[in-house]
Amino acid sequence: MSSSSSPDIRRWYVIAAPYLWLLIFFLIPFFVVFKLSLSDVATAIPPYTPIFSWSTGIWEFFSQLDFENYTFIFGDPLYINAYFSSVKIAAVATFLTLLVAYPMAYGMARAPKAWQPTLMMLVILPFWTSFLIRIYAWIAILKPEGFATLFLTKLGIISEPLQIMNTTTAVYIGIVYSYLPFMLLPLYASLEKINPSLLEAAQDLGSRPWRSFWQVTFPLSLPGVFAGCLLVFIPAVGEFVIPDLLGGSDTLMIGKTLWTEFFNNRDWPLASAVAVLLLFVLIVPIVIFQRQQQLEREAGR
Amino acid sequence: MKTRFSWFNLTSITFGFAFLYIPILLLVIYSFNESKLVTVWGGFSTKWYGSLLQNQALMDAAWVTIRVAVVSATIATALGTLAAITLVRMGRFPGRTLFSGMIFAPLVMPDVIIGLSLLLMFVAIGFDRGFWTITLAHITFTMCYAAVVVQARLQDFDKSVEEAAMDLGATPVNTFFQITLPIIAPSVISAWLLAFTLSLDDLVLASFATGPGATTLPMKIYSQVRLGVTPEINAISTILIGIVTVGVLTAAYITKRQTDKAERERRRAFGATG
Amino acid sequence: MTVATASQSTPTLTPRAGPRTAAPQSGFAPWNDPKKPPIVRFEGITKRFDDFVAVKNITLDIYEREFFALLGPSGCGKSTLLRMLGGFEKPTEGKIIVAGQDITDMPPYDRPVNMMFQSYALFPHMTVEGNIGFGLRQEGMPKDKIAERVDEAMGMLELRQFAKRKPNQLSGGQQQRVALARAIAKKPRIVLLDEPLGALDKKLRQQAQFELMRIQETTGTTFIIVTHDQEEAMTVASRIAVMDKGDLVQVATPGDIYENPKTRYISGFIGDVNLFEGKVSAVADGCVEIESTEGSKLKTRSAEPVSVGQQVWLALRPEKIRISHDQPSSTVNAIPGKVEDIGYLGSISHYHVRTAGGQRITALRANAAHAVERSISWEDSVWLDWPVDAGVVLTR
Repeated sequence: MSSSSSPDIRRWYVIAAPYLWLLIFFLIPFFVVFKLSLSDVATAIPPYTPIFSWSTGIWEFFSQLDFENYTFIFGDPLYINAYFSSVKIAAVATFLTLLVAYPMAYGMARAPKAWQPTLMMLVILPFWTSFLIRIYAWIAILKPEGFATLFLTKLGIISEPLQIMNTTTAVYIGIVYSYLPFMLLPLYASLEKINPSLLEAAQDLGSRPWRSFWQVTFPLSLPGVFAGCLLVFIPAVGEFVIPDLLGGSDTLMIGKTLWTEFFNNRDWPLASAVAVLLLFVLIVPIVIFQRQQQLEREAGR
Repeated sequence: MKTRFSWFNLTSITFGFAFLYIPILLLVIYSFNESKLVTVWGGFSTKWYGSLLQNQALMDAAWVTIRVAVVSATIATALGTLAAITLVRMGRFPGRTLFSGMIFAPLVMPDVIIGLSLLLMFVAIGFDRGFWTITLAHITFTMCYAAVVVQARLQDFDKSVEEAAMDLGATPVNTFFQITLPIIAPSVISAWLLAFTLSLDDLVLASFATGPGATTLPMKIYSQVRLGVTPEINAISTILIGIVTVGVLTAAYITKRQTDKAERERRRAFGATG
Repeated sequence: MTVATASQSTPTLTPRAGPRTAAPQSGFAPWNDPKKPPIVRFEGITKRFDDFVAVKNITLDIYEREFFALLGPSGCGKSTLLRMLGGFEKPTEGKIIVAGQDITDMPPYDRPVNMMFQSYALFPHMTVEGNIGFGLRQEGMPKDKIAERVDEAMGMLELRQFAKRKPNQLSGGQQQRVALARAIAKKPRIVLLDEPLGALDKKLRQQAQFELMRIQETTGTTFIIVTHDQEEAMTVASRIAVMDKGDLVQVATPGDIYENPKTRYISGFIGDVNLFEGKVSAVADGCVEIESTEGSKLKTRSAEPVSVGQQVWLALRPEKIRISHDQPSSTVNAIPGKVEDIGYLGSISHYHVRTAGGQRITALRANAAHAVERSISWEDSVWLDWPVDAGVVLTR
């Protein structure tokens, strides 16, 4: 290290690489998307009018932009419904994930200390195996002649094949299943942090176990609940693979709409506009999530 | 004080893990099914594994996927480690909020948005799409995960160790390579593994970022899954699950052995006390 | 070489003379009244954690209005005993009876005891008021009544100004007071204190000890405190139970424990002590003559029955030993030696004297303002002597 460079300059060597990378490959592309969402579709390769060329000039460039794609989206109930139904499906699925994950995280946090690393491992392991494969595994279970039907018929619970595949129910199952670790980990972290003597204190002061749970454990686990819900909700709104493979024609989700617009209809400007609006829907929860992460990091110091 | 499993806890954990693992187990078991029908057991067979090896397109896709994953995980881990140091050790600097926003946003951002925006930029600057565009896309989103993993470790470790090294005359660069990096090494390794599997796993970004000639395994699997469930996909899934499981368990075993060793040494140093 | 002085650094550890403040009636000694029923009775309590025995067959009575201390080093089982009374651990064997009722199997939330936790265990998401009122809310007490009781408890511990604060906005001493206020707010019959002052610094701890005594006195509640700090136990308690490795070694008043320790362990654990190892050479009308291994003949009264030839230890508190330049007139219990070290502590000084036999003995002398006597300094030849009733003969 040359002694001539001041610590302040040296600092920037470290900061610059990841910073520039994210600026170029994460932030700037959004502006490209935004610009494109204001352009018109063209039957060419690439299938839209040029982003910018010096020959046409600045004025020309701006004069070509318009909100046509947005007015089209707002004019077509298909898109609006897709946004609403994405948010609704994601919200319901997030709540269901919370219901499944909470008792599990609670059980893990209260398990003998020697067991906890192993249990953690077992939660994370499926998360490391392919997302696509895990969704695929559910197709074999949920389809009418699948394992669920076989199993429940054997038990005599049902006599007709299950009609879950290609419905919104299947999408819920898929989201709960694939996002479970994202909910579990922050929940477990916040539950595990609770000092057991707080619960002893509550009981000592006359609170029965169930009340102690609602008075002490649950309020103290709220940061974990909050973080877990954001981690599930935000990506679930824009989910594509799950509704595409498990959902049916009645399952409207915006991620799938975007995919169809882009790959099947090859309307890149319209797909861009859909993406911009999706980002618009998600910007508030994303900012909240980011604030929370930052607070946690500062508190962890 | 020792705690034991209570009935409620044991039940909720058992059901939770059953939910997590039964689908995967079924998939693995039926990859050894003789029958072409995926839900009817026709006897044990490994023929679907054999037919995989004959499938040249699938093998090519697997090779592309592994190359992308190795390259992108390595670069992403390096960038992610720098990003983690920036977040934890650099204090305030202009644009810090934007920086941490760009680290955390990709963790939750729907991948269709990231994929679309990257593709449009590649097209805009006239970048030839294929192997490298997929790799660039993967670096961008996996470096954020890597940063978060390394950051967690950096936060818990005692900064005075670094200060002691500098006090003893080590330059910041030497301090990083001789002190900081060895201490955070396990988290850097897990960051690499995470980046590697995320890349191995990705369908959406790769579908957007790819060009002619570069097809990854998830893209291949996806196009087949859309046509229905086949034992061949079960077989390739089982192989992937096997690779990941062995890798993760090995990593866990290594870390556990290290922490156990450290714990034993600590106990010996302080003497066993009740 | 025999065991010399136990190395406690505390300068003075004489128990307070006169009637105990914790027990206002000068004759407060319900444990001597066989007709008085105890408020807490541990009956043959044993607690095992897997193969580790934390508490071994303890039987112990504690009486109403007592300030009772469980004293011992960490891991001696004192906290486990307290936690069994609180209901957080189940005894492996034995019964716990509170006010005549067997509560062994009663869950914590039904027990008439409240605990002040070592870590305070304040609810981080509730204000000071919320914490103190928590127990009252569980009873379904009307809101205005709760407010009244909370205010009363806050007043008693000077917490009113912090009512709306959260625990993390309080200093350690304030948190400790909130924890105490929360434990007394329900007016339980018994308050349990698990190392309540362990997290405070020394000065604050002494203040807090007197505060605990004041609260105990004004509320008239039975307090049971667990501590490893002998000074604290001596200060606050009406009686002390000394525990070691799960056993109850001695239960007595602080004065008794200090003056008549039952074992070498207790004599060394509470206060400083000089121990002479030796064999009994003669026994006559209440007096025992000991030939110490260090080579002198020591004469002392003994309540403990001993026989000639038995191995015993003579425990002698430093402040009971007179140190002077002149040879004392009596030849009984007088040993010459040389001053090796002097610890000046302001009001008093410690003198470490090496005897001809090689034993190191600590003597204490008050630094009186008028220096009538010639001051003693390093390397001086001195005489140590003490009366026959100054020491205690120990057989264990």
